[in-house]
Amino acid sequence: MSDVRMVASFPDEEQCVHMIERLREARLRPKAFSPIPSEKIREALYEQPSRVRAWVLGGGIFGALSGFAITIGTSYEWNLNAGGKPIDSLPPYLIIVFELMILCGGLAGLLSFFFYSRLPVLDPTPGYSEHFSSNRFGVVVDCADTESSRIEALLREGGAEEITSEPL
Amino acid sequence: MAAAVSTTTAQAPTFADIDREVRRVLNPGGLQYWAWICFCLFFVLIAGALWTNQVYEGLGVTHLTQPTMWAVYITNFVFWVGIAHSGTLISAILYLFRTRWRTAVYRLAETMTVFAVLTAGLFPIIHLGRPWFFYWLAPYPNERSLQPDFRSPLVWDFFAISTYLTISSLFLFMGLIPDVANARDAAKGWRKTFYSIMSMGWRGTDRQWRHFSMAYLLLAGFATPLVLSVHSVVSWDFAMAQLPGWHSTIFAPYFVAGAIFSGVAMVLTLLIPIRKIMGLEDLITPWHLDNLAKVILLTSLIVSYSYICESFMVWYSQDAIELATFHQRYWGPQGYLFWMMVACNCVIPLLLFVPRIRISAVWLFIISLFVNVGMWLERFVIIEGSLATNTEPSQWRFYHPSVTEIFITVGSFAWFLMLFSLFARFLPIISMTELKEGIQWLREALRDNYRRAA
Repeated sequence: MSDVRMVASFPDEEQCVHMIERLREARLRPKAFSPIPSEKIREALYEQPSRVRAWVLGGGIFGALSGFAITIGTSYEWNLNAGGKPIDSLPPYLIIVFELMILCGGLAGLLSFFFYSRLPVLDPTPGYSEHFSSNRFGVVVDCADTESSRIEALLREGGAEEITSEPL
Repeated sequence: MAAAVSTTTAQAPTFADIDREVRRVLNPGGLQYWAWICFCLFFVLIAGALWTNQVYEGLGVTHLTQPTMWAVYITNFVFWVGIAHSGTLISAILYLFRTRWRTAVYRLAETMTVFAVLTAGLFPIIHLGRPWFFYWLAPYPNERSLQPDFRSPLVWDFFAISTYLTISSLFLFMGLIPDVANARDAAKGWRKTFYSIMSMGWRGTDRQWRHFSMAYLLLAGFATPLVLSVHSVVSWDFAMAQLPGWHSTIFAPYFVAGAIFSGVAMVLTLLIPIRKIMGLEDLITPWHLDNLAKVILLTSLIVSYSYICESFMVWYSQDAIELATFHQRYWGPQGYLFWMMVACNCVIPLLLFVPRIRISAVWLFIISLFVNVGMWLERFVIIEGSLATNTEPSQWRFYHPSVTEIFITVGSFAWFLMLFSLFARFLPIISMTELKEGIQWLREALRDNYRRAA
């Protein structure tokens, strides 16, 4: 049962990553804020890659199938015999298929990014400080009241510049 | 290691230095800035008035007539689509290759892409006699027995350009989110509200970055083949036609190389004044200019090779009609346009073999202007010149643009520059996030500059 949320601010990425690893070793579940996309933080926190890629694949397949459906389907529905050429002329249709694959895959990527990142978000994120979008890395950890002094010591030992705590 | 704190010197910028420099650009523009915007708006309004007159009077106010039914408007369309391409090259293709120098210039290039495609998209509509029917190109079921022919390159264009505009806009928007959140945290008043809406509540949490990185990587992966396909499709507008001067198998790679060539030149045309006016010399260093110049040099050589190759194939085919068209292109009444094009695109860029010129902002700015002119002329020579000297010599007739066409062309440049200038003052024109990611490269570049200066 967690009673306290502790937020520590670090001046660089390495210290932040090191602290995340130590907190995970202590069987805690830290979260992080960073001003840049950090591969090291991601690897320290997650074992699986983002599920966005599955949505992009699905969007791309959907787009490609839509491209075939639009071109072949409407060509047969509005049968236009141009100089005896085949009604369903695949080589030129592949251009439409390709463009729709890209379009739907890209849109699926953006929408799934919003969905998994929980954007747009209207409420303030607990523990967030304006420094975390600029020049500081943040580690957030929830812990029991009885453990807070031990965690604080751990954070200080890891190089935290500033530590704040708030009751949950 | 991406260290956020170190000694603040000009040679070793920190995260805070980068924020301060980029946020400084977001300050409200002064009188000169708004005078520039009004100057651009003036030409946009003139172009709008002339276009309104064209819609009312009909296409007779242009000098479009048989056999040159495509001329300045379609030249502008191809030119602006081409300009867009380098933005995607720098933002997406070089991102996949993890190219170090792109971080300071990619946002500017990507912004240029979006506004260039927006400008390009206007011209097929401006070129229509009845522009209110432009939606007939869209493939939707209707009851007039009208169905777009998917075998037509013009329909491919519709799909390619609209997809390109959408994906480029998404890519620009996604990349902006963390930077706008950064600007939001330092802003006050209406700007804070504006940036809060734009950033959608971004906080830079590990969850957000995890999905952001994957989505951004995949969008870059999609944008890469897209950019190659779009200008190939544009080139097929011409290459699929049975017209001497157009019907050529090398058009796709030739147009793509030309697009990157003109686009990188336009990046420099925009970048150099912005760098000077906004005092961004410590973020956009001679190292960045040098690398952009090398891309121009490489693509200039590819374009020069394409001109030679195209001419060789005409000579080798010994096709009388092709030979006649190309003879007119080189030595006909408008041959001076072809030789100006060769000078601008093939000869002047050779100056970039000199390392000193590659890091000189003044020289690069001048060369980039020549390349812009040369690449516009290239499209005009191909489009108008080939139509003017078609397969029937009895129909040959050279075209000269009307006042309407000239001012609509000028208006398109004003429109593009106005949009770009507004963006540069209200949204981060340099990606703070990516500069911080590659801060050690920026430090190396600055140290190298200081060493050279010493």
